[in-house]
Amino acid sequence: MRRALHAEWTKMRTVAGPLWLMLGAVAATVALGAGAASVAHCTAGGCGGDTTKLALMGVYLGQAPVAVLAVLSISGEYGTGMIRTSLAAVPRRATVLAAKALTLTGVVAAGGAFAVLGSVLAGRLILPGAGDRALSLSHGPTLRAVVGTVLYLVLIGLLSLGAATAVRDSAAGIGVVLGLLYVLPIVSRTVGDPHWQRLLQKTAPMSAGLAVQATTDLGSLPLSPWAGLGVTAGWAAAALLTGGLLLRVRDA
Amino acid sequence: MSTPGIVVAGLRKRYGGTLALDGLSFTVRPGVVTGLVGPNGAGKSTAMRVILGLDAVDEGTALIGGTPYRSLRRPLSHVGSLLDAAALHPARSGRGHLLWLAHAQGLAARRVDQVIEQVGLAPAARRKAGGYSLGMRQRLGIAAALLGDPPIIMLDEPFNGMDPDGIVWMRGFLRSSAAQGRAVLVSSHLMGEMQDTADHLVVVGRGRAIADAGMADLLSAASRNRVAVRTTAAAHAARVLAHAGASVAASGRDTLAVSGLAAERIVALLTRSAVPFSEVSAHRATLEDVYLELTGGAAEFRAAPPAEVSR
Amino acid sequence: MSGTAVRSRSGRRAGRDGFAHVLHAEWTKLRTVRGWVAGIVAAGLMVVLFALLTGVSSDQKGAPPVPVGPGGEPVADSFYFVHRPLTGNGSITVSVAALDSSVPRGPGDLRPGTVPWAKAGLVIKESTRQGSPYAAIMATGGHGVRMQDGYVNDHAGPAGRVSAGSPRWLRLDRSGDTVTGYASTDGTRWIGVGTAQVRGLGSTVQGGLFVASPPVVQGGGTATSVSTAAFGDLRTRGGWAGGDWTGGQVGARSPTFAGYPENVSGSFTGAGAASAGSGAAFTVTGAGDMAPAVRDSLPTGGVLRDILAGTFAALIAVVVVGARFITEEYRRKMIRLTLAASPRRSRVLVAKALVLWAATFVAGSVGTALAIPLGERLARGHGVYVFPVSSSTELRVALGTAALLATAAVLALAVGAVLRHGAGAVTAVVVAMVLPYVLIAVPFTPAGLSKGVAAVTPGAAFAVQQTLVPYAQVAANYTPYYGYFPLPPWAGFAVLAGYAVAGLAVAAVLIDRRDA
Repeated sequence: MRRALHAEWTKMRTVAGPLWLMLGAVAATVALGAGAASVAHCTAGGCGGDTTKLALMGVYLGQAPVAVLAVLSISGEYGTGMIRTSLAAVPRRATVLAAKALTLTGVVAAGGAFAVLGSVLAGRLILPGAGDRALSLSHGPTLRAVVGTVLYLVLIGLLSLGAATAVRDSAAGIGVVLGLLYVLPIVSRTVGDPHWQRLLQKTAPMSAGLAVQATTDLGSLPLSPWAGLGVTAGWAAAALLTGGLLLRVRDA
Repeated sequence: MSTPGIVVAGLRKRYGGTLALDGLSFTVRPGVVTGLVGPNGAGKSTAMRVILGLDAVDEGTALIGGTPYRSLRRPLSHVGSLLDAAALHPARSGRGHLLWLAHAQGLAARRVDQVIEQVGLAPAARRKAGGYSLGMRQRLGIAAALLGDPPIIMLDEPFNGMDPDGIVWMRGFLRSSAAQGRAVLVSSHLMGEMQDTADHLVVVGRGRAIADAGMADLLSAASRNRVAVRTTAAAHAARVLAHAGASVAASGRDTLAVSGLAAERIVALLTRSAVPFSEVSAHRATLEDVYLELTGGAAEFRAAPPAEVSR
Repeated sequence: MSGTAVRSRSGRRAGRDGFAHVLHAEWTKLRTVRGWVAGIVAAGLMVVLFALLTGVSSDQKGAPPVPVGPGGEPVADSFYFVHRPLTGNGSITVSVAALDSSVPRGPGDLRPGTVPWAKAGLVIKESTRQGSPYAAIMATGGHGVRMQDGYVNDHAGPAGRVSAGSPRWLRLDRSGDTVTGYASTDGTRWIGVGTAQVRGLGSTVQGGLFVASPPVVQGGGTATSVSTAAFGDLRTRGGWAGGDWTGGQVGARSPTFAGYPENVSGSFTGAGAASAGSGAAFTVTGAGDMAPAVRDSLPTGGVLRDILAGTFAALIAVVVVGARFITEEYRRKMIRLTLAASPRRSRVLVAKALVLWAATFVAGSVGTALAIPLGERLARGHGVYVFPVSSSTELRVALGTAALLATAAVLALAVGAVLRHGAGAVTAVVVAMVLPYVLIAVPFTPAGLSKGVAAVTPGAAFAVQQTLVPYAQVAANYTPYYGYFPLPPWAGFAVLAGYAVAGLAVAAVLIDRRDA
C-alpha cells in the first residue's frame, strides 16, 4: 500500500495539471466569495443572511476544478491506456483505488484549506463590520463551517473519483458529477410538494453537505450541519464502493 | 497535366528548439514503391503530415500532382493515406468509419462495401472498431486509403506490429498498387521490409535526405569493395589490412568487414603475413549495411566522427 | 508557411458541393457512435421525464381557487371593502387625510413602515366576488394618486403623500359601463385621472371605500403589511341604496392573499354611517391588493420553467456529447484523418456545429413538445394552478428551450476544439450555464449577483423559458430566482448564441493555425 501510495503521489506531482487545477480551485473559491461579499447589502445588523455562508459561497464554483482533478486522476489513465500499466504495477485493484483516494484527499485538503481560509480572509477585508464575530475562527460555528467546508471539498473529490472510476470516460464522468452536484438542487426547487422538496434537499450531495457552512438559524435547516456533511460522505462512500467493485470485476 | 506523384522541396520545420525538417526534398513517382527510411525521429512522419497539409512548414513546398494538398477538391481521390491505424473511434463500426470518410468525398456507400471486400474485412465490418486486432485495424486503414481509388498511396510504418501473414499481405498490396501505376510512399524504420518492397529509397536522417536513389543502385554502391573476412586472429588481420590502406570494421566476433581492397589482394596479404583465415568473400550488402554506412552508425574504427546519430 | 497554406482556385470552386459532403460526413460520424445518439435522445427524454416528475410531485387538490381577472390572468383581489349597492348611474366622493402602514419586524412586533403600493380610495366593482371587474381611484403609500381598473391598467394622478395637512379628494362617476376617476387637492378643483370602460359591470354594482396593503419586499422575500386610512366627506349621488355601509374582507381565503400580520385584522369604524350626502368619516384598516398576481403573490402557481426543469439535466447530456464530438477526434488522432479527407478546416468545424445543432434541436423540440402539455396536464390534474400563457409564448418556450440545448452543445463543441480536452470543455460549459442557477437558487445570494450572472453568462439563455411579466404597479422580487430574468427572452438567448459563435470563431482560427 505504501508503495502504491508513493506511486500515486509521484503521478500526481509529475504532471502540471493537478497543480493548476488546485490553484484554479483556490482562485475560483476566493474570487466568487469575495465577489458575492462585495455586492451584498450589508448593514450593522448583518448582510441579510448568514455572513459565513456568504463568504464561503465560492465553494459552489471551487468544487468544479476539484471534481475535474478527481475525475482526471482515474479517467485520464483510461484515456491514455496507462491504467493497464498501473494495474500491472499494482495488481490489487482496490489498493490502486485506495491509493488514489488517499493521495487525492491529501491534495484537496491542502488546496481546500488555502481556498477556505483565503475566502474567510477576503470576507473579513471586504466586510469589516460584519466580520468581527461571524468571520472569526475563535467563534465555534464559524470554525466548524471552515473545517467542514474543507472536508466537503475532500468528499466531493472522493465522490468524483468513485463516479469516474465507474464511468471511465472523463467527459462523461465530469458530466455525471456536475449533474449530481448542480442539477439536483435546481430540480428540487421546482418540486411542488414541500415534503419531497425537503427530502431532495436532505439527500442531494451538495445542498446537504453545504449545511455544514450554516452558522445562524440552525433550527430552520432540513439537516443539522454535521449530519448534512454525513450525507455527502455517504455519497462519496457509495461512489467509491461502486467504482471499486466495477474496477475489480471489469477488464482493464 | 502537371507532375504526377508527390514532389517535396526544401521542407524546413522547427518545433521549439528541435529542427524536425531541415531542407528535406524528394519525389515520389507513379508505378514505383518509394521507401522513406530513417531512424525514429528522423522526420519521416512529420514529412508525411506536411504532405497531407496537417502540419504547416516554415519553408518549402509539398505538392500533389502540382497542387498543395489543402486545395484539393476531393483529396482522398488524389492521395490515400494511413498514418495511424489506431486513429478511429472505438465505438464506431468499421463500416461506419469508412462511411463518414466516403461521405466526406461524396462517394456512395457502395464504394465502402467494395473496399471492405477488397481488404478482406467483410465479416467484421459491422462490429465496433474498438474490438479489432492490430491487423484488422491496418486493413481498415488500407481500406480507407483505397476509398477514393487514388493514384497516390502513402502509408506510415505499415509493417509495425504486423504478424507474418499480414506482412506478406501488405507487401503484395504495395507491389500490386505500384504495378497498377500508382505512386506509393511507404515509411519504415525496418530496413529489411524495404529491401523486399521498395524500388526506390529515400534515406532520411536529421530532417534531411541523405540518400535518394534506386534500391539496386544503393545496394551495389554499398557493397562495392567490401569483403568479409573470417579469421581467428581478427586483431592481427585488421592490423595487416589497415597497414595496406584498407578500412576495417569488426562485424562479428571473428569476422571483419574490409573495404578498399579487392578479395584477391586480401588473400595474398594475409597469406604473406601468416594470418590464419577460414573465409574471404566479397560481401553482398543488405539494406541495413547501406543504412548504417550512410548514417555512419557502424564506424567504430573510423577516424572521422559519425555524421548521423540515430535517436 | 508556403506550400500547404496556399489555396488554389480549384479549392474555391469546390463551393457548396464540397461543403455538403463535409456535412454528410459529419452527420455519418455523429449517428454511427451509439453513445452520442443515446446522449442526445436521453436529453429529450430527460426533459419529458422531469416534466412528469414535477407534474406528479405536487398536490394542491382542495386548495381555494386562484382568482382570475377579466383577461383570464391570475389576480390578487383581496382588500377591505366598505360598500353599498349602486343601481344605475351615480357618483361617490371622499377625502383621504391619512394612510399609515405597518410592517412586522418580528413575530408580533408590528412597526410603522413604508408600503409604497398601500392603497386607500374608492372602488366600483361588479360584486364582492374575487376577480370581478372594477374601476378604482386611490391614494397610495408612495406613488401618488392612481386610477386602476381591470387589475392590469394603471394611470397616474397627482403625486405626493397624503397627510392631515395635505389630504386628497377622490371621486368616481359611473355612467353605464364607463367609470371616470377624478382627484383634487382642495375638494373644489377636480382633475380627471382616467376613464375606464369596465365591461360586464351589470346594472347593480357594489361601490364604496377600500384599503389594501400588499406584502412588502424584504431581503429576498416578502413580509405581510397592514394599512389604515382616514376617510372623510364621504358623499354619494345617484342610484345608491340607503342603509348602513357594510364592511368586510374581500377574498379572505385566497392563494393570492398572504393574510394580515399576526394579531391584526381588517376593520372599519365610522361616524355618521347613516345617510348619503352626510359627509361621513371612516377609519378603515385593510390588507391585500387589487392587482395582477406575480410569483411573490402566487407562490404555489406553476410556470413552464418549473415543468421544464429537466432542461438542466438535458443540458449536461448534450454538453457531454458536444464536447466529445470533437475532443475524441483529438484524443484518438482521428482529427488527422478528418482533415486529410476535408482539408478546409473551418468547414469541418462549421459542419460539425450544424450537424450537432440540428440533431440536438430536433431531440430537444420533441422533448419540449411532449413535456409542456403533459406536465401542464399532470400539474392541473393535481390541483396546481399554472400561470396561463399564450400559445405563441408556449411555442417560444418550447422552441427556445430546444435551441438553448442545441446552442449549448455547439458551445461545448467550440470550447472542446479550443481546449482539445473533453472534461475541461464539459466543466467550463456546465459551470458557465448551470452554476448561475445554482447560485440564484441559494436564498442568501445578493440580488445584484444573481441578476448579473443571469445577464452576462451563457446561462442568460434560460430567459427563453420566461413566462412571467413584471408589473410596475406591483412591488415584488423580480429576480431570476422567482422566474423574472434581467433580459428579454431572445436577448438572453442571443447572449448564449454570441458565446457560441465567438467560441467557434476562436476555434476556427486555432484549428487552421495549429498542426493537427
